[in-house]
Amino acid sequence: MSVDDYAEDDRLTTGGWRDALDDGLLLGQECRDCGHVTGAPKAACARCGSRALDTVRLPEEGTVYSVTRIEVAPEGFDAPYHVAMVALDDGRVTARLDGEADIGETVTFTGAASTPEGPAPRFG
Amino acid sequence: MHDAHVVGVGMTPFGVHDATLPDLFAEAALPALDDAGAAPDDVEALYFGNAMGGQIEGDSHLAPTVASHVGLAGVPCQRFEDACATSSNAFKNAVQAVEAGQHDVVLVGGVERCSPETGKGTGAMTRIFASAAHGAYERPTGLTFPGVFALLTKRHMHEHGTTPEQLAEVAVKNHYHGSLNDRAHFGKETTTEEVLDGPVVADPFRLHDCCPFSDGAAAVVVASEDAAADLSGDPVRVAGVGHATDVVPLADKAHPSTTQAARDAAREAYEAAGIAADDVDFAEVHDCFTGAEVLATEALGLVTDGEGGAAAAAGRTALGGEIPVNPSGGLKAKGHPIGATGAAQIVELTEQLRGEADERSVEGADVGLAHNLGGDAATTVVSVLEAADAGEVAR
Ligand SMILES: [Zn+2]
Repeated sequence: MSVDDYAEDDRLTTGGWRDALDDGLLLGQECRDCGHVTGAPKAACARCGSRALDTVRLPEEGTVYSVTRIEVAPEGFDAPYHVAMVALDDGRVTARLDGEADIGETVTFTGAASTPEGPAPRFG
Repeated sequence: MHDAHVVGVGMTPFGVHDATLPDLFAEAALPALDDAGAAPDDVEALYFGNAMGGQIEGDSHLAPTVASHVGLAGVPCQRFEDACATSSNAFKNAVQAVEAGQHDVVLVGGVERCSPETGKGTGAMTRIFASAAHGAYERPTGLTFPGVFALLTKRHMHEHGTTPEQLAEVAVKNHYHGSLNDRAHFGKETTTEEVLDGPVVADPFRLHDCCPFSDGAAAVVVASEDAAADLSGDPVRVAGVGHATDVVPLADKAHPSTTQAARDAAREAYEAAGIAADDVDFAEVHDCFTGAEVLATEALGLVTDGEGGAAAAAGRTALGGEIPVNPSGGLKAKGHPIGATGAAQIVELTEQLRGEADERSVEGADVGLAHNLGGDAATTVVSVLEAADAGEVAR
């Protein structure tokens, strides 16, 4: 499937983003007007309000921007686990991290973590 | 435009309560009305805060219920929900209504129960609090509310060299302040060793870096200058309120650890009050976690960027220091009943500026600031209050 097959009427919705993630693809949006890249697709650009958003495949290698080890988890999650903000060129995603990594370390997309709240990007 | 004043305040002790939400709210609202000298007929509206009663206790559409419960049946009511910034947003809207001449006397307040007394344990409450994060892109990662601030704080530590010891000093300071406040959830002091030895909640935060699950209520009466003159309460002037939000989710913020919404809200509040950060004599800031206080003191301009941790460790933000922060004990020690927190900060500012804060008094304080943050470091409300007899403060 192509990236655009996950978009509806040319726009990537949460449903399409989740479907792609379950298929092992990390999708996002790039704003045609200001260039802002997001890993959390929206109906309009969060920086400039433009609706001219391209659905894009995000880079699969990035660096840890910040990270925490959660030891007190919400119901339905088994602690401990690591959650990171991962910088991918011009965008960032919040993701589950396999094992430990410090800020600045290189990590690679490894697919989707399946959770009671839906799929989450996983990096390791 | 009319000037708005706080003319009456009330709050319950923060901690564990088994009362219903209306009963608990009454324990703050009735004292606030009495403090203002306001009869039911004087009050023209209720601006009410409750963030999570629907999820925690199965109670929704609470504003008219609590209005009826405290003798205000029939007045226009509205409920605000902005996560932890719930009742400061109610306060902002009440102030604007009074400033616009729409109402002369308004009751503002909030109530919440979050302790295990509600029947919800830590896992359930952690899940409910996480509902303030982005549902599609953050909750599936297992990100918790402590986790949100942990990510911001870890980045701050990386950028500025803030240490776990400095974070612990924030907890030690606020526990000390809380020991001087008989309404505080935690009334006893702690030590850096105790904080650093505690179990990890979300690295770098250990148990004592985190505020407790509290129950409580707080309320204030806001009145126009003319109405305030007709009431018997000792007025404190609302000099300015700022309100801003930042991009949600966290990862999309331009620079997450700078908490831009706090900077924007502070600029608006300072401009409205005609003051600069240097004119602030003390502040109540949103220290849900020790790292949150460090970020807040920098964003508000109370300390230089990057120096929030060092300032706390050096005692600069303690009572007796150059800019006391959270003389009440803050969320960390006083407690954090979500929907009551913002109103409780206004209660503390008012008591300090009236000279009614007893042992925790900030000497000679004329200008107080409240900073209340909600959700994914998104909603932020900053309020500046001035002592009524301060005249043209520090312009
Ligand atoms: Zn854009």
